[in-house]
Amino acid sequence: MLRALLLVGILGAAPLFAATAPDSVDYAWPNLTDFFKQLAGRIPPPVKVFRLKLERDGKVDLWIQDQAQRDHIDSWEYDHGSIKGPFPVKFDHYPTVEALDHHVIELTTIDFPRLPGMLASAREKLKMPDARVFLVELERGDSHGMLTFSDIPIWTLHVDSPRHDGRVEFDLGGKVLNVDKD
Amino acid sequence: MSTRTSCFGLALAVASTGALADTAIAPVHPLQDPAALKAVFAARIGHPVFVLRFGLGEHYADTLVQNAAASDEFDRFQAIPGQPMAEGEPQKAGGIDCKQKIAFADLDLAAGARALAQAREIAAANGYKPLENVELGADVFCKDFGWRAILLTEGDSNAMLEITWKPDGSAPKARQMRDSGWSRVEMKNLLAGSAKAPVTAAKAEPAPIAGDGRRRNFLAGIEADLARVETQVGAPLAFKHIGIDATQLSVEVFPPGTKKRVATWLVNDDGDLRLWHEDDTIAFDCNKPFAAKDIALARLPELIAAAPGLIPAMPGAAVKNVHITRGVFCNAPSIDIQIEDERGYGDIEYDAKGKLIKAEVR
Repeated sequence: MLRALLLVGILGAAPLFAATAPDSVDYAWPNLTDFFKQLAGRIPPPVKVFRLKLERDGKVDLWIQDQAQRDHIDSWEYDHGSIKGPFPVKFDHYPTVEALDHHVIELTTIDFPRLPGMLASAREKLKMPDARVFLVELERGDSHGMLTFSDIPIWTLHVDSPRHDGRVEFDLGGKVLNVDKD
Repeated sequence: MSTRTSCFGLALAVASTGALADTAIAPVHPLQDPAALKAVFAARIGHPVFVLRFGLGEHYADTLVQNAAASDEFDRFQAIPGQPMAEGEPQKAGGIDCKQKIAFADLDLAAGARALAQAREIAAANGYKPLENVELGADVFCKDFGWRAILLTEGDSNAMLEITWKPDGSAPKARQMRDSGWSRVEMKNLLAGSAKAPVTAAKAEPAPIAGDGRRRNFLAGIEADLARVETQVGAPLAFKHIGIDATQLSVEVFPPGTKKRVATWLVNDDGDLRLWHEDDTIAFDCNKPFAAKDIALARLPELIAAAPGLIPAMPGAAVKNVHITRGVFCNAPSIDIQIEDERGYGDIEYDAKGKLIKAEVR
């Protein structure tokens, strides 16, 4: 319980949504603070993220490692204030505990308030000032573009406009790793 | 092609027609007045463009254009006869795979109308389906930009006749697609009506053999239904593959006297049995049959039932399906059982006699 309160305290200290940020006018960032507060009431920390998806319509799908049985990944869904889960995640091939331990990202290491700035940067890099968020993903992996074996947590911002699709990858610190425009 | 000159020519033309854009109404009979149709498109587009595709028919016309001043701007415009033309719809640049094009000024819709008339004449003379439209553009390999008509037949869904013309309507050529690929067809024969569309008699689907009404669970036994398949085949079964799940039994067998054909028989859980498919075998596949006596058929229900318990890490798992084959290396047949739980899959393998070979989480 003490650890759960600690997590809520950490989340409360750093707002995880940016409805007031100038670059978020066309994307209502999901209220991740509320999501993680509700999550903290259901699972004890540490929360280790396998994958996070923020969708255009504001829905969130968070895959986290079950710390009581670390070969299990569960999905938690958040839809405008409503949290649902856990849903077992089914893999075509069971990953090993070691692979999962390596793959996951500790929630407290993720600097969510950087996201609006990343969106602004993505629009600038893509030369798509009117780009709308299609999907925001976070997962450990290798950056696209040039052959890389970075195997690091990567934010991928998928955006689109009537004429183009674009993807920009960032590391957790907000550094641009790859820019791809169709 | 004087593309640059043509584009600037169009720019001057559209400058004078720009005011007409909002009232651009497609002609009622576009095939009879292709110049009017082109003028309406020009007015609606309103700036110099290249044409990547143009679909032409009497009920509908549409085009995909590229802005001559912005090479990553693509728009689609549509015209319905007698109706005001809507604004263009922006198209994703990444979705345009082929950028073969002509200047709008070089667009010859009269040539398209002539091509459509000729293709319809050929369709009627040779027994093809009536043709709706022709299309100007590149082929699937992004080559051979021109007008194109595709004629289809009633009898053979795999057969088609393609007729192409250059953008100005000259040099018509035809080729026919059949099962074996493309072959050229002489235009003079098509125009004379002496290159008839292929007609394939509809294959009569064999009627399923009704079951006995008993609801089956094939994971609990298949011997009785294999005997029914054997009765239909008329000889001891020469298996290539047996596939089992709770609701269906699939049996691939070599017909008597050949290893070059394989027939697939299906039995549903209500007992209906039918020959689903028969085809040539694949040369490098394992085409060595096995017989019922080669596998532990009598023990199969017991082996299947025991399978989930062989992987303790998947305590809630259930059997998903069973496959009995010689495998890719054409060895002795093995019994492969796939189990699943809510988080993944497991694989259990027995040899043909029921000896456990492996049981592991996938």
